[in-house]
Amino acid sequence: MESQQSLRISGLQEERRIESRILEERIQQAVEQGSRNLEIEAFGQHGIGGRLWKAGEEPVHVKIVGSPGQRVGSMGFANTTIEVMGPASDDVGWLNGGAKIIVHGNAGNGTCNAMAQGKVYVAGSIGARGMTMTKHNPRFDPPELWVLGSVGDYFAEFMAGGVAVVFGHMPQDSHNVLGYRPCVGMVGGRIYFRGPHKGFSQADAKQVAISQEDWDWLNINTEKFLESIGRLDLLEALSVREEWQLLVARGPMEKVGRTRPAMHEFRRNVWDAELGKGGLIGDLTDVDRSPIPLITTGELRRWVPVWENEKYAAPCEASCPTGIPVNERWRLIREGRMDEAVNLALAYTPFPASICGYLCPNLCMQGCTRTSADMVTLDLPQLGKTSISAKLPPLPPLSGRRIAVIGGGPSGLSIAWQLRRLGHEAVIYDMGKALGGKITSQIPKSRIPDEVIQTEVGRIQEVIPHVHLQQKLNRSEFEQLKADFDFVVIAVGAQKPRVIPMPGQERLIPALEFLQESKADEISVGKRVVIIGAGNVGCDAATEAHRLGAEDITLVDIQPPASFGKEREEAEAVGAKFRYPCFSKAVTEEGLELTSGEVIPADTVIISIGDTPDLEFLPENIATERGFIKVNDLHQTTDPRVFAVGDAVRLGLLTEAVGAGRKTAQIIADMIAGKRPTGDARQMFDHHRVKLEYFDPRRLTFDSVQNCASQCSSCGSCRDCGICEAMCPQGAISRQEVHGGKGFEMVVNPERCIGCGFCAGACPCGVWDLVENESLD
Amino acid sequence: MLSNGFITPSSLSVKDLPWQIRWEKDKCTLCGRCAAVCPVHTLELGVFRKRMVSTPDLSHLTPANPPATVYQTYHGVRQKTDPAYACVGCATCSLVCPNDCIMPFRTDEADKFRFHLNRGGQARNRGGRRNAPDAAQGGLLDQIKFTRISMLTDPALDAGRHEFELRSLLGRILPPEESLKLFHEQGWTPPVREIYPLLIGGMSFGALSPNMWEGIQMGVSYLNEEMGMPVRICTGEGGCPPRLLRSRFLKYVILQIASGYFGWDEIIHSLPHMKEDPCAVEIKYGQGAKPGDGGLLMWYKVNKLIAAIRGVPAGVSLPSPPTHQTKYSIEEAVAKMIQSMYMAWGFRVPVFPKISGTSTALAVLNNLTRNPYAGALAIDGEDGGTGAAYAVSMDHMGHPIASNLRDCYLNLVKLGRQNEIPLIAGGGVGKNGKLAANAAALIMLGASVVQTGKYIMQAAAGCVGSEADRCNICNIGLCPKGITSQDSRIYRRLDPEKVAERVVDVYLSFDTELKKIVAPLGRSTSLPIGMSDALAINDKSAAERLHIDYVV
Repeated sequence: MESQQSLRISGLQEERRIESRILEERIQQAVEQGSRNLEIEAFGQHGIGGRLWKAGEEPVHVKIVGSPGQRVGSMGFANTTIEVMGPASDDVGWLNGGAKIIVHGNAGNGTCNAMAQGKVYVAGSIGARGMTMTKHNPRFDPPELWVLGSVGDYFAEFMAGGVAVVFGHMPQDSHNVLGYRPCVGMVGGRIYFRGPHKGFSQADAKQVAISQEDWDWLNINTEKFLESIGRLDLLEALSVREEWQLLVARGPMEKVGRTRPAMHEFRRNVWDAELGKGGLIGDLTDVDRSPIPLITTGELRRWVPVWENEKYAAPCEASCPTGIPVNERWRLIREGRMDEAVNLALAYTPFPASICGYLCPNLCMQGCTRTSADMVTLDLPQLGKTSISAKLPPLPPLSGRRIAVIGGGPSGLSIAWQLRRLGHEAVIYDMGKALGGKITSQIPKSRIPDEVIQTEVGRIQEVIPHVHLQQKLNRSEFEQLKADFDFVVIAVGAQKPRVIPMPGQERLIPALEFLQESKADEISVGKRVVIIGAGNVGCDAATEAHRLGAEDITLVDIQPPASFGKEREEAEAVGAKFRYPCFSKAVTEEGLELTSGEVIPADTVIISIGDTPDLEFLPENIATERGFIKVNDLHQTTDPRVFAVGDAVRLGLLTEAVGAGRKTAQIIADMIAGKRPTGDARQMFDHHRVKLEYFDPRRLTFDSVQNCASQCSSCGSCRDCGICEAMCPQGAISRQEVHGGKGFEMVVNPERCIGCGFCAGACPCGVWDLVENESLD
Repeated sequence: MLSNGFITPSSLSVKDLPWQIRWEKDKCTLCGRCAAVCPVHTLELGVFRKRMVSTPDLSHLTPANPPATVYQTYHGVRQKTDPAYACVGCATCSLVCPNDCIMPFRTDEADKFRFHLNRGGQARNRGGRRNAPDAAQGGLLDQIKFTRISMLTDPALDAGRHEFELRSLLGRILPPEESLKLFHEQGWTPPVREIYPLLIGGMSFGALSPNMWEGIQMGVSYLNEEMGMPVRICTGEGGCPPRLLRSRFLKYVILQIASGYFGWDEIIHSLPHMKEDPCAVEIKYGQGAKPGDGGLLMWYKVNKLIAAIRGVPAGVSLPSPPTHQTKYSIEEAVAKMIQSMYMAWGFRVPVFPKISGTSTALAVLNNLTRNPYAGALAIDGEDGGTGAAYAVSMDHMGHPIASNLRDCYLNLVKLGRQNEIPLIAGGGVGKNGKLAANAAALIMLGASVVQTGKYIMQAAAGCVGSEADRCNICNIGLCPKGITSQDSRIYRRLDPEKVAERVVDVYLSFDTELKKIVAPLGRSTSLPIGMSDALAINDKSAAERLHIDYVV
């Protein structure tokens, strides 16, 4: 304290309280005029003792008696010491910039709010929100608050610096010296306290040990504080180190927010503990519900690749009425097994060269997957022609079961051939001198060289007995055949020409008759020929007529001509004209008269509007329908021991006749073996699975069968290219030899595979499929 | 699409699809992960042919030395265009791609695909939400502002510092005289629960996967037991696992009874074993997403687990008819259902009906106000979500929640019964991620409790569905996140613990945001239900309709 005489300034004037503004003016004026020791008699005036910077470095002592208003010492300067001789109101030391403020009683709410420097000593307790928003400016010492008693609620909210010391001596609440929810938002500073508390913001502050340095500081300053408030008597009692605790703000990296127990602990200790092992539904299911990644292998894959090698019939095979596995033949050629490729055909048809190489429209190639991308199909006739050298396979010994086949045409020979291959004896009954039916007797020489037919028929004759009938079969002979054989097959073809009843019909030459005679060069036709019926047989007739010297050839039809393929091309090549619709009225010497009155001049008029089977020998129990034999799906007639195939059932292509023969032979063999007859159960392969992108779309010709074979897409059957193995991102696919030298298979390791289906996407042949994995339920 | 071949009316090009996959050849390693993970199997490896015509200097070209054509192939990922396999835009492919080389993009015009989604004459079904991309840019609730900011006029509150009473009441709160009279005459007063005002709306066990359902329930229990937040969750109509029924966690659960009555016999059998009463019983009469329409859990989703919980044999389709079969009139139907459900727990559990948003909501409300047993009225607005619905129901049926709720609340005000019968509002709350703002707006428009479902799926389980028709395949059991699948190969992607953690995160952050809204309004002692003077909107018609301030 200064020894200087103190200047007393009263807050009263003429019995009236003066305004805070007036008192402030008077204090400032006094300090300006040199007073350094003031005694203020306060009557609730605001902010007493602050802002006394006009004294410069010189200390100023302000003693306040009476009742100061709020914010004693606000914006105080470091030169100032303020002593409030009794209690103080709110916000003592508000925005204090360095003043030392001693309150000899309690202080109200907001003590030290926003204080930045200086010290506030409170000899009692303080109200709520003390030491809030305090700062520590590094240029100065930190601010200090010393409270002998306790602090009120929300202490040290947003405290950002400074030191608070709470002695807890005679606290307002003996159970809690720090009040309710202290330290919320505290980011800096330290709080020494003594006595019990009811918690503080753990998120913002933490309790730490008091170091020796801290303790020394606390001891030294406690003595100063107690001296200032005149309570040195308490020094010993308040200096028991074990009674003191220290809170400091957490650093930014130490802020923890609200601490939460770990969920896995909650699950184990609370959730499963209450519900039981396995949690919510542990009693209802054993299904493993533990977490799995998005990409899974093994049984957790959603999709699984399947190597479906040869599961489906390739489109060529499925399109071939005979059922020849064409892609298998190409495969053998690719593998350099030409002989096997050639011989394989004989397992399906006795006429692999004649039909596949010359006479067939090659439905296999019409069905070829390559056509779906507008690519040129493989040259099948080239492959067919190689079959001329096909060698008979070794035939099994005969079973003793015998089948009579009536008719030695394509269907009859096919069924006899297949039955023999299956170990049963088939005997052909035919009126022709040579076997072969239509092929030998009616198809123009221009379509197929004789030696090809001879070679193939000869190959058959080596193994099939042939009974040459001298006259038409009659009903009793048929019955005898039934009695002599286990089964009878009717394959008589369609030999009876259809004729339009009209004047002059006797002048008509049926096409079949014409073709037979022309083939034997036993007929002449003149220069002008009209052919009624512009189908393929009509076209053959036209071509033959040209060969025989005709120059003006006209085919008429009542509808757009049904002819197609080579027959049509060849007829057009010889200059045949196609006319329709033309309705025939009569055949005259001049030619063919139409209902329109026109006469098309002709030396010869051939009729080619179809043929029907000659079935006079049929017993009554075998039903017919519109002139053809009625059969069920097994080619069985209404007599279960009698089968019928070929044109006698339905007019069709040679390959259809051969195919019917082959399938029926298998059915008969199944019946002999006592099995339920089975057809080929394989479905046709979906050509969309093939990747034609691997092939050159601009290739238009093939100069060898090897060349063809290389361009076959091998639909549904593995070509052993290794693309899948190379493509698999997981290295899950490997090629493995099948036990017993039965080739190879591609195998998926489920523990590597993720079910992406890239194998299926890359496979040129569409062998791989991706299917849904089995349910885990 | 093949370069040639026949087309059908439904032959679509990639351009016609709603979602187009962009794949970058240069970055792709052909790892296969995208194709393995694609839920709808749209991605496949393609083989592509690349042609190069190489021409030397023209002076060197002669018939003997022609230009060369060289073909090469490369492999890459492509999408199928068959509508049955069309990309749904979920972008799970992007999620698993190690090189960021694949991503679906929304088509830049209206897709043609939408015209081909009715194969076999089957009208389009989907799960998720409405397709209302415009509304997704900012629905009405998003436009509502809180304009009554108190700085000096009311206590200035600090969301971070002050404490707030945010709990709400569920159950009938009768005026004291009525309550006393009832107590004197019958020895009974309606049960009332103190609950957190954000309720997780009904999503059934069956619609949700076991892991999702358990995760949410676990999160709710955690919030109650570790965080002291009385959050409640509704079961939806799929029954309730017996273990939950017999646990103390049942008190956090609102059991739903709906027209299919699934699982209720199991609930009845559990009655003697219950340690706790459930929070409440919700009688579902309607659903905002598909008002007046029922549901059908297809037989192939009814596996052993679902069957056990619902109390049905496995492998049988489970229909929930559009209406309760024994409902004849509003008076009779609601009253008898409420009575029945009260009886199950000795009149200790509040019972309330839930209806879809409708212009007839007032009629229902008026009926309920006359029934002292009616514990609340829940209204589900048109923006509510669903596991499966006809697209036409979802897109075009229903009533927006804001005006429907407001009408009901103002009607209660007129009767002097506001806050006596709590209104529970839901349907699209937080659909654009503004959960707290939407919820606060509804509360100030008059809701005592707000319920949400989709938000929880999005926030707690990473649902990727959107109003722009992304994903939304909740109905076919192939949810890429495992939220709505019953296939353990899919739902095991979802860890219940992680879901629970996210549920907790959602509630804690919601709590903070709600405080950030109510603190500036100077409200801390009670939820500001119906405090519509705090609301404003810059749409004059909406302001008039909702009786709130119009501001520009």
